Amino acid sequence: MPPKRARAAATTSDDEPKIRADALRPTLALAKQIYEQLDDGEIPRMRLPLRTKQNLSFQMREGVWKLGKAMGTRSARKLDGALMLLRTFYLVDFINEMARDRKTSTLRELYYISEGWEEAKFHSEDESNLLIEDLEVLCQRLREDFRLHPEENGASVIGDLTIKERNRKGQVKRINCRDDVGDGGYSLPFNVEKEKISFVGTNAKFVIAIECGGMVDRLAENGFDEDQKAILIHLKGQPARSTRRFLKRLTEELELPVVVFTDGDPWSFRIFASVAFGAIKTAHISNYLATPGAEFLGVTASDIENYELPSDALSDQDVRALQAELTDPRFATAEWRSEIELMLKNGKKAEQQSLAKYGLNYVTEHYLPEKLNQMGVL
Amino acid sequence: MPPPPTIAQQLAAKQRDISIAEFFERNRQILGFDNPQRALLTTVKEAVDNSIDAAEEARVLPDLLVEVAKETDERLRVAVTDNGPGILRREIPNVFARLLYGSRFHSNRQARGQQGIGISAAVLYANLTTARPARITSKVEEEEAAHVLELVLDTQKNQPRVVSEDVVLWDRPHGTRVELVLKARYTRGRQSPLDYVRSTAIVNPHCRIVLVEPDGTRTTFERATTDLPPLAKETLPHPFGLELGELGYLLKGTRRPTVAEFLAKDLQGVSARSAKELLAAAKIPASEPPAKIQAERQERLLDSLRAASLLAPSSDCLSPIGSLLIKRGLRNVLGELRPEFFAPPVSRPPKVRGGFPFMVEVGVVYGGGLPADQAIQILRFANRVPLLFQQGACAITNAVGNLDWRRYGLEQKGGSGVPIGPALLLVHVASTKIPFTSEAKEAIAEDPELDKELTLALQAAARHLRTHLSRKSRREFASEKFAIIQKILPKLAEKTSQLVGKPPPDLTPVITRIMDVVNVDAPVVRAPERVTLPVEVTNYTPRPRVLELFAELPPEVLAVATFAPAPDGTEPELGRAWWTLPKLAPNGRTKLEVSLPPKTDVEANDVDWYVAGVDESHLLGADPLPGDWDVRLPRTIVEAAEAAAQDAAAAGAADEEVDYDAAEASASSRDDE
Repeated sequence: MPPKRARAAATTSDDEPKIRADALRPTLALAKQIYEQLDDGEIPRMRLPLRTKQNLSFQMREGVWKLGKAMGTRSARKLDGALMLLRTFYLVDFINEMARDRKTSTLRELYYISEGWEEAKFHSEDESNLLIEDLEVLCQRLREDFRLHPEENGASVIGDLTIKERNRKGQVKRINCRDDVGDGGYSLPFNVEKEKISFVGTNAKFVIAIECGGMVDRLAENGFDEDQKAILIHLKGQPARSTRRFLKRLTEELELPVVVFTDGDPWSFRIFASVAFGAIKTAHISNYLATPGAEFLGVTASDIENYELPSDALSDQDVRALQAELTDPRFATAEWRSEIELMLKNGKKAEQQSLAKYGLNYVTEHYLPEKLNQMGVL
Repeated sequence: MPPPPTIAQQLAAKQRDISIAEFFERNRQILGFDNPQRALLTTVKEAVDNSIDAAEEARVLPDLLVEVAKETDERLRVAVTDNGPGILRREIPNVFARLLYGSRFHSNRQARGQQGIGISAAVLYANLTTARPARITSKVEEEEAAHVLELVLDTQKNQPRVVSEDVVLWDRPHGTRVELVLKARYTRGRQSPLDYVRSTAIVNPHCRIVLVEPDGTRTTFERATTDLPPLAKETLPHPFGLELGELGYLLKGTRRPTVAEFLAKDLQGVSARSAKELLAAAKIPASEPPAKIQAERQERLLDSLRAASLLAPSSDCLSPIGSLLIKRGLRNVLGELRPEFFAPPVSRPPKVRGGFPFMVEVGVVYGGGLPADQAIQILRFANRVPLLFQQGACAITNAVGNLDWRRYGLEQKGGSGVPIGPALLLVHVASTKIPFTSEAKEAIAEDPELDKELTLALQAAARHLRTHLSRKSRREFASEKFAIIQKILPKLAEKTSQLVGKPPPDLTPVITRIMDVVNVDAPVVRAPERVTLPVEVTNYTPRPRVLELFAELPPEVLAVATFAPAPDGTEPELGRAWWTLPKLAPNGRTKLEVSLPPKTDVEANDVDWYVAGVDESHLLGADPLPGDWDVRLPRTIVEAAEAAAQDAAAAGAADEEVDYDAAEASASSRDDE
């Protein structure tokens, strides 16, 4: 089946310079808002768009899912809300401090920095990550603008793609992602913006984004990137922001189609959704991260039957995840509904590496060429 | 050649006495000796029950030493020593080594043992399993020395046999020691001797019991009171509980010359007039000598006795524990678990079941070290004796399981069965005749009258628990609000005012908007020289308040209390005192203090605080004044209360947006990428 989605017009990132402008001013506006509420004798509160599945809305112009109009209130009336408000200004303080000292911090470091915030300290990294996303939403900025970034997670790229990277010392290196790198491929830094990475050129015809490292290795060993003129990108499970941003730049700037190749289970559908439609947690910056033209290659529920792949029974958790996807607006197309319902009906899931049932070359000689032909990519 | 024996002769040849030993072998489980673990517990239980009964009858505070020591892998030596009155030499053999011998079987009052089987059965079990005699030491006060007898039970004749005898000096004025060597297994945990002794100590707070276990561990349960429970009175049998055989026995034994006099004087609840009427109904002449009433006339007499409307049986033959001592007993023994709540125990008034009076008492303990994720512990007692086995078959357990505990704040699967939570229930049934399911007296049989009383008592206790839990959740709610206004808001003001470069704002209006309650804080502070209740009333609402504060204390506590400032009125018999408080501005506070003598037995839970002048939804740490207090409130208070109610109605109209930090909003996004 592969689910076909109208390929939306690739958006140019015109609004990007805006996003990267001075980040401190909007944080001060937040402080002013709360100060005035306190001074007027009002219970301090902030309004934020709800980052829930139910509050996603499709943006025709950009072809991505973004936050809708439903708002929630973070109020000091409740303990949790009061703590989040207080944390917000500890965080703003910290960002100001970093700007003054020209430092940056990892998300994890921020979590530990909060040890000094007394009752406002974070109880988990989830909590600190959520607050940073809240601040992105409130200030219309990216976390990098607040000098906060994830640890390098080095999603790897293999294929005939030549880029220029400005390294830590400010030197510009020219790198071909097939010839100039080891077997591990080229590791993506957390910042993949133009000032850091620029594209020089490629002979590749398409990009294949792959869930598991084992499958990336299989394709590389079999010479799939050279034979089929493909760029292999390892998603490493649920892809990091930088990986998604890099994919988007590849399609927009080099006009390469992107296909996503994952396991055949409910969680892999969500991986695809975050690449193609935009993730719920980052729906406020979907136009910056999502690749609306990306297509799902497999493993599909029908692949499991058609290729008679070794499979496992769906667990209770898997079933719940599929049922949740049926109420997710991003999957509300006829193609995705039938795919999800078929998986529920068959009660089976399979890993991409189960294709090895037919030998090590089967995936590159039969499965991928067949699927890519059906999709019109080859 | 003699003729062959007839069938009747053959059968006659097989007829013979069943020996006591055989009877015992066949009925081990109903007597409580069916396995080595249970045999030990039954032995300890019978000896301990006898000792406490004996001491109480002699009006001595029971002091028991229970020793369990290992003889071999399979054999234990059990010795129970008491400070009871001692037993006369001539009675010792019969008391300890003859089944169905005792003083209480025919008495009509509440006692631990009744049947005269228990301790002799233990002696017999010891004889049978180890071939060792029981060793009894006993001294009565009027004799200089103690008698030491070694006894076995002759299983052919159900008669005691004295194996050896001695006289020794004993360093106590009176008392008895029973020593048995039996095949048994020592365990700890549930259904162990420790479990039994601990439970016994809870419902017998006048007893001091020391337990020495085989590994040498010595556990002492000190007494929590020096008041002996009043001795249950022996009463005349009541016709409602009478069986035909018993009636015949009484008719034969009485010294009354006429049956009319027998009915009126030897039975309870029968007046001379009703005796005449019911004899007429049974067609028996009133002047008939009792012994002449036989067979079918006995039945007619019993029928008309049962049909007659008689006075209810009296209940002074019962010895309840009483709510004060249930609380003390529980606290004494469970104190180390530091429970957060001891509910006021419930003692139901006596009721009658089949002619026998009975009553139900229930105590509840909650929180502290009690496990939160397991079924609650039910401590079952019948006439102050712990019931450790057959929990599932017991009327007490069924009554607990039939109550919907979810309504009272405990978890319960499907609203029936033993609930789950950090709670412990104590249920005591006292009666002159407990309907046990079997001779081993391990579970109480179902009975509609008893079940009704059990349910009422459990409901009353459960309501106390619910009140406690709802107060606790309001306290938690309050502590959340206090954290916001005391810790978070000031910091939020400091941070934001620094960022905008302005002085910190006055937080009073915000604080009163967030809290919007009148808070009453009244902890109990114990100091060596006195106990105080420092009371603080704070108006965390955005409007000025005129309030009236009321306290309700146990009257005996109010009697010794001094107040600063003095109350505007008191009602000593009801334990009540009240104050009109000075007008409180928003964020305004007033204090008063209750002082009590040192060591006054009072807890924060024992004092109820009520406030008039503010509605319930804006009140913390106190309740609105109950309607039945019948207090004439000052006009200002009534008006303030009405205005506040209007405010509340207006505030309710403003609708609230979705709480961004409520679990739903953040959980679903966490689930995602």
